[in-house]
Amino acid sequence: MPMLRGFLILVLFFLFGEALRLVFLLPVSGGVLGMIGMTLTLMVKGSVSDSLAAASQGLISVLVLLIMPGVVGVFFTADQFSGQWLAVAVALLVGTFLSVLTTLLLMKCLVQGRNRSQTND
Amino acid sequence: MTERLGSLVEVLSASPTLAIGLTLGAFFAGNWVFARMGRPLWLPPVVLAAVMLSATIAILSLDYARYQDGARWLTVLLGPATVALGIPLYQQMHHIRALWRPILCTLPVAATLAAVYAVVIAWALGATPEVLASLAPKSVTAPIAIGITEQLGGSVPLMMGGLLITGVVATLFVDLLARLLPVKDERILGFALGVNGHAIGTVRAFEISHTAGAFASLGMGLTGVFTALILPLVFRL
Repeated sequence: MPMLRGFLILVLFFLFGEALRLVFLLPVSGGVLGMIGMTLTLMVKGSVSDSLAAASQGLISVLVLLIMPGVVGVFFTADQFSGQWLAVAVALLVGTFLSVLTTLLLMKCLVQGRNRSQTND
Repeated sequence: MTERLGSLVEVLSASPTLAIGLTLGAFFAGNWVFARMGRPLWLPPVVLAAVMLSATIAILSLDYARYQDGARWLTVLLGPATVALGIPLYQQMHHIRALWRPILCTLPVAATLAAVYAVVIAWALGATPEVLASLAPKSVTAPIAIGITEQLGGSVPLMMGGLLITGVVATLFVDLLARLLPVKDERILGFALGVNGHAIGTVRAFEISHTAGAFASLGMGLTGVFTALILPLVFRL
């Protein structure tokens, strides 16, 4: 029961996000708008109820299950893109390697720079 | 007998329970095999489960569109699940506040480059515009990425495949580069996992720690919002 109450809150925020998206024609999904709304609401409220925490933990732990049906699709549309697999594979592998490297280096430099300036203060 | 078995699949697949059962079964089977293999980082349970699920659908000669239709009962939960990520985000807000400047500086660069690197490489290797549009949102969480791909005129299944591979290799590369660079701050690792590896990276980040998971949720959310706003504009040029 408590978990369902938490789930209801999540669904309401999602619907709220979807409504915002449709009314203002935003390119961002209702889920993300709901997530932002949820974070802001909690910041104002200052605490998370047990039921909401339970429902969110439950859903986050099965996130993989929820994306599986979409993932399976790639095996059934494979032949549609024959001849381009090399480009796709190289782009994904090398592209992701470079972007991970960029993110880590940037964050590392910025965080260290911040720490240094703090100790100087 | 075979005829009756054939029509059995036909009848059972009329209700979404078959699709849900198959997906759940593959999910647990994937986790089980993953644990039996000693939790290899290069082969996450989602890949194992997806391969098993595809094989089962093919063996049962179940129509993929039909499966997808039934599985919608699961995929609709992606929306509330995305909202649920707001809770660890709030719980870790003090960590995030401490790092807001590096986060805001890194995000636009990292999210843009995540798309640009892949698109430029694929374009240089001669990929068609449809493929490019499918690759562009590769680091964005699934529900947003579907919207972006449709807007850009890409293929959703190809995009989902790219998303899967990106999530897996991003997880691998973060682990690898964390050791090589070295980066030990789990806040940075979590953020990199979320920005580059969306939901799969976020799942991995929650394995590292709750803090890493919150930073991954933040990175994933921000990348999703930023990419959704920027990519359609860039592609129009």
